[in-house]
Amino acid sequence: MADTTWMNGWLESQQRYWKAWGDLAERGAPEAPKNPWGQGIDQWWQAVSPMTPPSGRDVFDKLMDVSRGYFTLAEQFMAGAGGKKDVGMEAVNGWLENMQKMWSSPFPNRAGANNPAKGVNTFWDLPMDTWQRLAANIVPMPGDFTQAYHPEGAGAMRDQVNRFLSIPAVGYTRESQEQFQILAQRQMDYATATQAYQMAFGKLGAEAARKFQESLQGRANGDKPVSSLRELYDQWVEMSEAAYTEFVMTEEYQKLYGNLVNSLLALKQQMARMADQGLEAMHMPTHAEISTLQCRQHELRRENQRLRKEIKEIHQQLETIQQSSIASGLDREDAPAAAKRRTAPRGKKVGDAK
Amino acid sequence: MMPFDMRPDAVMQELMAYSQKLTHGVRNLMEVGEISSGVTPKTVIYQEDKLTLFRFNPPAEGGKSRVQSKTPLLIVYALVNRPYMADIQENRSTVKGLMAAGQDVYLVDWGYPDRADRYLTLDDYINGYLDRCVDVIRERHHIDKINLLGICQGGTFSLCYSALHPEKVKNLVTMVTPVDFQTPDNMLSHWVQQIDVDLVVDTLGNVPGEMLNWTFLNLKPYQLMGQKYLGLIDTLDDPEALKNFLRMEKWIFDSPDQAGEAFRQFIKDFYQENKLLKGGLEIGAPVSLKGVTMPVLNVFAEQDHLVPPDASRAMRGKLGSKDYTELSFPGGHIGIYVSGKAQKTVPPAIGKWLDERD
Repeated sequence: MADTTWMNGWLESQQRYWKAWGDLAERGAPEAPKNPWGQGIDQWWQAVSPMTPPSGRDVFDKLMDVSRGYFTLAEQFMAGAGGKKDVGMEAVNGWLENMQKMWSSPFPNRAGANNPAKGVNTFWDLPMDTWQRLAANIVPMPGDFTQAYHPEGAGAMRDQVNRFLSIPAVGYTRESQEQFQILAQRQMDYATATQAYQMAFGKLGAEAARKFQESLQGRANGDKPVSSLRELYDQWVEMSEAAYTEFVMTEEYQKLYGNLVNSLLALKQQMARMADQGLEAMHMPTHAEISTLQCRQHELRRENQRLRKEIKEIHQQLETIQQSSIASGLDREDAPAAAKRRTAPRGKKVGDAK
Repeated sequence: MMPFDMRPDAVMQELMAYSQKLTHGVRNLMEVGEISSGVTPKTVIYQEDKLTLFRFNPPAEGGKSRVQSKTPLLIVYALVNRPYMADIQENRSTVKGLMAAGQDVYLVDWGYPDRADRYLTLDDYINGYLDRCVDVIRERHHIDKINLLGICQGGTFSLCYSALHPEKVKNLVTMVTPVDFQTPDNMLSHWVQQIDVDLVVDTLGNVPGEMLNWTFLNLKPYQLMGQKYLGLIDTLDDPEALKNFLRMEKWIFDSPDQAGEAFRQFIKDFYQENKLLKGGLEIGAPVSLKGVTMPVLNVFAEQDHLVPPDASRAMRGKLGSKDYTELSFPGGHIGIYVSGKAQKTVPPAIGKWLDERD
């Protein structure tokens, strides 16, 4: 059994924190304490996670991320409620406005430390966040390298860079220059696609907030008020999914998604091409060469399989012919053992069914 | 009426309860131990490259096998994810249900393709690996035809195989199997239309399982990446429920890479051009649904977000078979294998349908 002292200590400190926080909220204190729960849980989890088995650690990491967002929602809701017992829309309007402000920014700094909606945005940015992790695995560059292309007025700057990149390469290093120009262009294209995708999620966020407000109003009108924090969270998820589902089935999203994937792969392809050039210069096998060998080897295996199948069929035909010969009495000698042998598929085979 | 009926002290209580569950949950997590999956004992029958053909050991009663069906049943799983979904735990196992219904169950496990498998095509999978598995079973049982049960993409493979080799398939069962890949509610299909699949495969070779995971999670991102974990808090104090959750998590993220050429053809011919339904599909030879002449049982899930019911129902009237039956299950793509309700209804119904045609 695990030592539970630290757990109880943690719970007690939580209790004290929430009591103090609740008292302040009851008194309608103008400002809540600065999110010590989020920091506390991080420290707690850092201490506890090494003791957890690997099979469950990833799940608990995710649970912690979600919990941070959940508690931020609680803190912001309670701050909005200002200790009142009859809580109106003002309780959620504050954080919805914060989020809307951030979403309407052309280059939202969602994860910024000073962002008041940070915890909830961890939730909102889930699709983009997981994409960044995937992209970082596919292209060996920092997952957020596209942020480097985020300056204000990037559109005009991008045009300038594009013009610069289209200058024909000349001279002794022409080929190498060209490859680097293509690489830079691919990076720009991917950054553009990522930004477009992210900005679309900003618009989607605003739509989700609108649906959320509407649904809350609908519950008020229908005499079904939200009675717990969990219900509030579930309502937010439901409305977010509804807005998301509508958006991702549009032609606009199909194009954004296609551009995001295609531009990442085009970048990866150019990087692979350049890596191959480096390998070739060092007289080492390139990826393209290995791929060609794999393809040829596979063709040979396929041909081999086809021939084995044909041989098996020929054996079976021979067997049939010999059996009918025996049956008709034309051939009284024992059928050769070879004809009786049934050719098995090429892999390892084990026993008859019983 | 106000939109909220939430007293600050009640919210405090709710948060305290949450913290408490979280803390105790970590204790359970530390004691959770090994997460098992694929629970029914099975024997390796045939192996080739990464593929393994298993036979689930028939249960014995008084030294006598309880298999009552004369025709063995081969389960063909998808290339995506792992086949132990059909046998995930003791009380949630489609395989066990089928065996309890008297079936002699085999399973194709495609394994985890690596870069050496990058040039495997659909022809290799369907007319090569699958056909050889079918032959091995036919030889073992000294019969001409076996029963096939295809799951999801494995169902599509089974349909293609049955159309190409009708002389080897006695009955075909398809579960949550797409046939029309372009129904208006098919999110995956909508997204993939502008993907340059040639660029993807030419660049990556095999397509990483992680990429597929990202795609699947994005079907319902806020539920699957957020709400699901918050919901876990309610089951953290139950070690068995926690184990079940972790088992499902293991399965969800256990995604083999996809052999490049097979992926290219599957996305282009099925998702982008819908050739199985519209015609023009070639897998070693032309594939026509009219070639599926054996009895077919089409099982689909009414709340399937991966393979919408209409995508499966599309086979109705398109097959060569005169014996076509539909079985609709009120659940989702995964629930059809793991929910308690599915255990009671789906495998027995499949067993009965097969017995009537044995």
